[in-house]
Amino acid sequence: MSKTSKKTAAADRKARIEEMRRAEKARDRRNRIITITLSTVILAGLVGWGAYAINSANEKKDQKAAAAAKPISGEKTWDAKKLGRTHVETKVDYPMNPPVGGNHAPQWMTCNGNVYTKAIPNENAVHSLEHGAVWVTYNDKATATDIKTLTDKVTKTPYTLMSPDKTQSGTVMLSAWGHQLSVSKASDPRVDQFLTKYVQGAQTPEPGAACTNGLTAS
Amino acid sequence: MTDTTTTAPAATDPGDVDGPRPRLSRWLTVGAASLVALVLALWLMASTSNETDTVANIPTADSADAGFARDMAVHHQQAVEMAYIVRDRTTDPDIRRLAYDIAQTQANQRGMLLGWLDLWGLPKTSPDGYMTWMQGGHMGHQTEDGSLMPGMATNTELHQLDTLSGNKAEIFYLQLMTTHHMGGIDMARACAQQCAVPQERKLAQGMVDAQQSEMKVMADMLKERGAALR
Repeated sequence: MSKTSKKTAAADRKARIEEMRRAEKARDRRNRIITITLSTVILAGLVGWGAYAINSANEKKDQKAAAAAKPISGEKTWDAKKLGRTHVETKVDYPMNPPVGGNHAPQWMTCNGNVYTKAIPNENAVHSLEHGAVWVTYNDKATATDIKTLTDKVTKTPYTLMSPDKTQSGTVMLSAWGHQLSVSKASDPRVDQFLTKYVQGAQTPEPGAACTNGLTAS
Repeated sequence: MTDTTTTAPAATDPGDVDGPRPRLSRWLTVGAASLVALVLALWLMASTSNETDTVANIPTADSADAGFARDMAVHHQQAVEMAYIVRDRTTDPDIRRLAYDIAQTQANQRGMLLGWLDLWGLPKTSPDGYMTWMQGGHMGHQTEDGSLMPGMATNTELHQLDTLSGNKAEIFYLQLMTTHHMGGIDMARACAQQCAVPQERKLAQGMVDAQQSEMKVMADMLKERGAALR
């Protein structure tokens, strides 16, 4: 073998090594970039997901709170501070019909899902409202279907009571302490809304008081 | 053959010796970065769940926690009512003490359940009916005549209890109350398994234990009176 060919071979080797080192460096750089990019993407994803989770949870809570605080469409309210809570043995002249609060009889009307088919004394029913009951009343315009629908709901729901009231303006009226809703038929979805919201609801002046062992005869 | 002898030293060229070393350190870098990312992820998850604790721990209206609180409050109310009735119908000290114990306990537990619903801002009643939260449903119970859930007496039975007195009232009470406890225990056991709030699970398990032991007491009291379950 000649000297020159040996030299060429050495130069070739050197060049190959140079190239391998260059490739090595390029690989290193590429891997560094991949590592950094990947870590950044993972981190950004986690931060974003966390922020989204917190945000959506808060939003859901806000929506629920807003729905719970919202009055039922069409309901009337009275300032609870102005409704008397004294027990009286006399008849009371209430400014609204049916009454939604005020002074009342010492004995509450039994309101454990009771359906009364005859009118009941306002003074006893108001005492039930003070205990957290919803009082369902209807006038002569209520159909047999209306009465059946309401009877089914009331008998399944402790802390409600039901009775006819010929003198009231609405066909079907629901009263809780300080709140009243009038609907033209029992199938109105607001009936369930009113019951859900006010049966032992936040308006109750005397939470925990009984709906059993009251007056039952009308 | 000279070619091989000249290329052979190339294998031990210092340029190739540090070949595997950067590869190792590269994996170390990737490994370390992944570890950091994992730790950060865990920390972030821990910190987000802490921040949302107040949100995440409030049961929803259709949860077992809320359902049990709503339904058991109604179930308990009837036990309280029955206890008052029988205390008016007999002078027997054992029955009156048992009834007093049940009335006090269940009225207090009922207050806890309703208080939790208040804290959670949830309604006390649901238009969807009773026991819909229980896995396996409400065991086909027909709500009729005031018997809204399994174990509950009908209004007719309550009125009947109110007309009996002495030994007859005692026996009927023990029969009604045993059935009442049986229904109550099934529901409480479901909450002990399904409820998420630990205080509520504990209360439910307490009901299971206490009512089971009361059922034994009532079985003995029935036997003393020469009677059995209906």
